[in-house]
Amino acid sequence: MANKKSIRGQAAVIGIGTSPLGRVPGYSPLWLAADATRKALADSGIDKMQIDGVMSGHSFASPFHRFNVALSEYIGIQPTFSNTYQVSGATAATLFNIAAAAIANGLAETILISMGDSLLSGLTPDMALRSMTESRDQQYEMPFGIPVSNTFAMTAARHMKNYGTTSEQLAEVAVIHREHALMTPGAQMTKPLTVDDVLSSKMVSTPYHKYDCSLVSDGGVAFIVTSPERAKELAIDKPIYILGGGECYTHEHIFKKDDITTTGGKRSSELAYNMAGITADDIDTAGVYDCFTGTVLMMLEDLGFCPKGESGPFVQDRQITHGGKIPINTHGGLLSHCHPGIPGSLLHFHEVITQLRGQAGDRQVKGAELGLVHSLGAGFATNATTIFGTESTL
Amino acid sequence: MSVITEEEAFKKPMPSPDGDSMALWEGLKEGKLLLQNCKDCGDVQYYRQEMCCNCLSDNVESFEATGRGAIHSYSVVHRAPGPAFKADVPYAVLLVELEEGPRMISSLVGSDPNEIDMDMKVELVTEKIDDDISLPRFKLVE
Repeated sequence: MANKKSIRGQAAVIGIGTSPLGRVPGYSPLWLAADATRKALADSGIDKMQIDGVMSGHSFASPFHRFNVALSEYIGIQPTFSNTYQVSGATAATLFNIAAAAIANGLAETILISMGDSLLSGLTPDMALRSMTESRDQQYEMPFGIPVSNTFAMTAARHMKNYGTTSEQLAEVAVIHREHALMTPGAQMTKPLTVDDVLSSKMVSTPYHKYDCSLVSDGGVAFIVTSPERAKELAIDKPIYILGGGECYTHEHIFKKDDITTTGGKRSSELAYNMAGITADDIDTAGVYDCFTGTVLMMLEDLGFCPKGESGPFVQDRQITHGGKIPINTHGGLLSHCHPGIPGSLLHFHEVITQLRGQAGDRQVKGAELGLVHSLGAGFATNATTIFGTESTL
Repeated sequence: MSVITEEEAFKKPMPSPDGDSMALWEGLKEGKLLLQNCKDCGDVQYYRQEMCCNCLSDNVESFEATGRGAIHSYSVVHRAPGPAFKADVPYAVLLVELEEGPRMISSLVGSDPNEIDMDMKVELVTEKIDDDISLPRFKLVE
């Protein structure tokens, strides 16, 4: 099913911003999104009245079902293209892909992508966990006490059985993410972590220990996306272009997925690579959804960074950090930087764009021109990929 | 996204049978696990729906599963998904592959959850919760 049309080079990110991240008590999800928004506006240099599109995602701690509409009112604008999108953790990448398509085809010229949530301070930990579990099937899954971690845990367990992946290799993912967080100002986790620390932390849902699991955080993230022509008129210093996008939805229930160690990320990334006209080998740095350590292993394979079944040794060989084959989640990811629920994957975008701008300071991946972000959710039910490049890659 | 109240969080979630699933839950009350077989394309499905998910035909009929299967994967839960399951930990959530082909989510009864492994044989045990609902669980085959 080759699609002749493309979003390649049709839109560019011209502004990025985050609210305070981590533990941010006393602020609503709308404030977190709005604070990130005003920082993204300041970064781009445009006025809020130049925004005609607003795209957002659901917020667990917000009472607003139409977060996009509530946010628009909160920041005093009246967009003519707007929605709240919901494909769980994959939402972030879909927003960039849809924004590019909307801009390319005239539905909007300048789009604000913004989300915020306060899973840490706005809900009790039990309520946060239970509200996420609520997204599982009420008849076929929830009566059996299936935590949000469980679906991911069962895929990791099968991966270990099929390919000999070890708990130590899973733990190495957490260790490298922690090293990255220690290089990132404002990261929630600030102390070093060892493989032994991970393996001796409390078991959550086998094979996942506490430190195999992502954080629970507060935070807001925002971006301004516009057409390349508009970016030029505005004399934006380093616009970062969207070069390709793809999505894939393989199942609603994990029990309907034939091979639970291969995800829809394989298809979504193939679509994105084809559209961008590149392969996995061309990518300089990536944001890879890291809700759990095993999730990262499976995605390294499905995104094409290493062959199927070889992600364990690949990570143990430190190929996912500076100096390795593909430095990923250089900010520390959901595992060690910040995980405010659905907005969490937007932080992967924030980091990859920062890297492509050459603004990552001590953690800069030298010469990064092409970046990929992969978002996923709902026990691998939803997968979406976006590829970005600097002007030189157009 | 709605957030449940504190009070609701202490109750275990129970199925509310609908037009698609009613027969499954009725069957379980009698100790039977019903699957569906498509008379047109031969597809067998566990997730119960009033049409074949493969060829979209209405021509599907129920049949009783043997109740035998194997553990395709599992995860032993130590951190409960909310207060309602706290007293149950540790327990094993199973991804069971039924002899007839389809897989289903269930949980283990009758054995120490730490003693199970991939591909072990299991069989159906129905557990009566109340007059309306019996849940399908699995035990290891001796």
